[in-house]
Amino acid sequence: MNTVAHWIQHEVEDGASVLYLTGVWRLSNLVAISDALRLLKLRLSKRFVVDGSRLQALDTAAGFTLYRHLAGLGCTESMVSVRGFDRRHERLLALVRERMMCPPAVSRSVHRGAVRRIGAATLNVWRLLQAHVAFVGSVALELFSLVRRPRLFRVSETVSQFETICLDAIPIVALVTFLIGVVFAYLLGLQALRYGANIFVVDGVGLAICREMSPLLVAVIVAGRSGAAFTAQIGTMKVQEEIDAISTLGLSPLQVLVIPRLVAITIALPLLVFVGDLAGIAGGMLVGALQLGISALTFIDRLHSVLPVSAVTVGLSKAPVFAAFIALIACRMGMLVARDARSVGINTTSTVVQSIVWVIVLDALFAIVFERLDI
Amino acid sequence: MDTNAALAQVQRADPVLKVDSIVTRFGQEVIHDGVSFTVGRGEVVALIGGSGTGKSVLVKEVIGLLRPASGTVTLLGTDVWRCGQDEMNAVRRRFGMLFQDGALFSSLTVAENIAVPFRENTDLPADMIPPLVGFKLSLVGLQPETGGKTPAQLSGGMRKRVALARALALEPEILFLDEPTSGLDPIGARAFDDLVRVLSDGLGLTVFIVTHDLDTLHSIVGRVIVLAGGKVIADGPVDAVTRIEDPWIKEYFSARAPVA
Repeated sequence: MNTVAHWIQHEVEDGASVLYLTGVWRLSNLVAISDALRLLKLRLSKRFVVDGSRLQALDTAAGFTLYRHLAGLGCTESMVSVRGFDRRHERLLALVRERMMCPPAVSRSVHRGAVRRIGAATLNVWRLLQAHVAFVGSVALELFSLVRRPRLFRVSETVSQFETICLDAIPIVALVTFLIGVVFAYLLGLQALRYGANIFVVDGVGLAICREMSPLLVAVIVAGRSGAAFTAQIGTMKVQEEIDAISTLGLSPLQVLVIPRLVAITIALPLLVFVGDLAGIAGGMLVGALQLGISALTFIDRLHSVLPVSAVTVGLSKAPVFAAFIALIACRMGMLVARDARSVGINTTSTVVQSIVWVIVLDALFAIVFERLDI
Repeated sequence: MDTNAALAQVQRADPVLKVDSIVTRFGQEVIHDGVSFTVGRGEVVALIGGSGTGKSVLVKEVIGLLRPASGTVTLLGTDVWRCGQDEMNAVRRRFGMLFQDGALFSSLTVAENIAVPFRENTDLPADMIPPLVGFKLSLVGLQPETGGKTPAQLSGGMRKRVALARALALEPEILFLDEPTSGLDPIGARAFDDLVRVLSDGLGLTVFIVTHDLDTLHSIVGRVIVLAGGKVIADGPVDAVTRIEDPWIKEYFSARAPVA
């Protein structure tokens, strides 16, 4: 059934190669049709006539395949003529012929090798850092102008941002830090039990939670929660040209969008860290009571005498710095969104990654600085 | 009534689309209250109506994206809302849809966008697809270099042309166009109209256009269906509809009378 003759017959009449097309020349049969054309092993001749009198159906894909095959033999347009097609098919072929002059088509997105990818990513990070510095500068200028004209500060926007960043995050922050407190106290307790040094678990939990664990974890949670939200919100506004609308109304997008978020998160993060401190210690307390025989009262009493206030303040003092970095990165990435929906997703992911990296880098810097300062 | 005469005149023996007493409700609000019409093979039909009369909604109901409250849609001989999934998929391969903003996949290049229907719905080997994609691009009047760009890099007019190439990939019998010229400048809009006319003539396509563009109506459309108040208030050749005594139709055609 699926022979060459099923699709096409080749005859020589008056020195011209006549191609009789038969059957259904449609996209669904295109593989068979192009095989048939190949198997026909046509040679270049002076004149080709395509005869459509035996044809049942024809579409552009099949017509294109035929003409492309003939062009591949070296036929020029004047060497090919058609006859016997019904009017509809003749018009279709004429359209195909007129439009087919250029069919190479770049199909795949360029796929880069691993080395080039890594190199390009590194350069991107560098360019991004430069842009971030410029962005920090312009935000600083806006803050100065705010000092001169405090009326510009948007209180209600800041408050509503504060509510979503801080109040809505309290349950998740408390849960995570509580569980970390439990895990930390439990592992520490396993070691301490061997030496009968149960009570020292309180020292360890208090110090670790307040100074390191809570600030770091809460900053990571907020980066994932609010940082991602900032980028997605501002990015979507960018896509919908709302940012341009803000500028056109004579307002500064930095003043309207960035500064309220920056202020709100800078206030919210220390408060959340404090919530984290309490929840983490509560977790430690639970393990102390159940596993180590340290009652809650004993735990608090011990904590009171061994935990230096500086451990708590050091932890809290890191939070606003983390917050500022998260806000600036998130807002900046939102502003960088291009005019398509996909880049909102890409930039949101990038915000979370950058924020977490920066939080960890800053935490390391703080550790060194505080150690040098003997705090 | 010359509306009825016009209607009888255009109803052909071979309907490719039959919409019968469609009712659509969004909550309490009634959008369509018994909309019926027929489109014959090879016709170029436009659906017009004011904002909020549910033109785009109707198209979505016709192509099986949104279920009407009642009524039947028969597209290419298949009852869209009472057939099985497989039957519907078979029909989906026989029509093309051009969405208002193109709806190109933003993570793919132009060429990959056009290649999607070939990859997903045909068994063509990978080496046969790129030449076809190139051909489809030139069919809608784009250069092959456009294939390497991403949709974000294209102008509005080019995006629509790429979307048209994608809609035409599987050689559809019917083409649905949702506001094909909106957002284009007059020159770009006329060029797009010409393209649609050349393709519909050459390929023998049935074309169903939702439009606001009077120039489109006058240049390529054979028949107009006017939707107002949830019903079809007029259906016939453009000239006949222009003469109908209805306040909305009068205002519509006189507000933007074409420059003679």
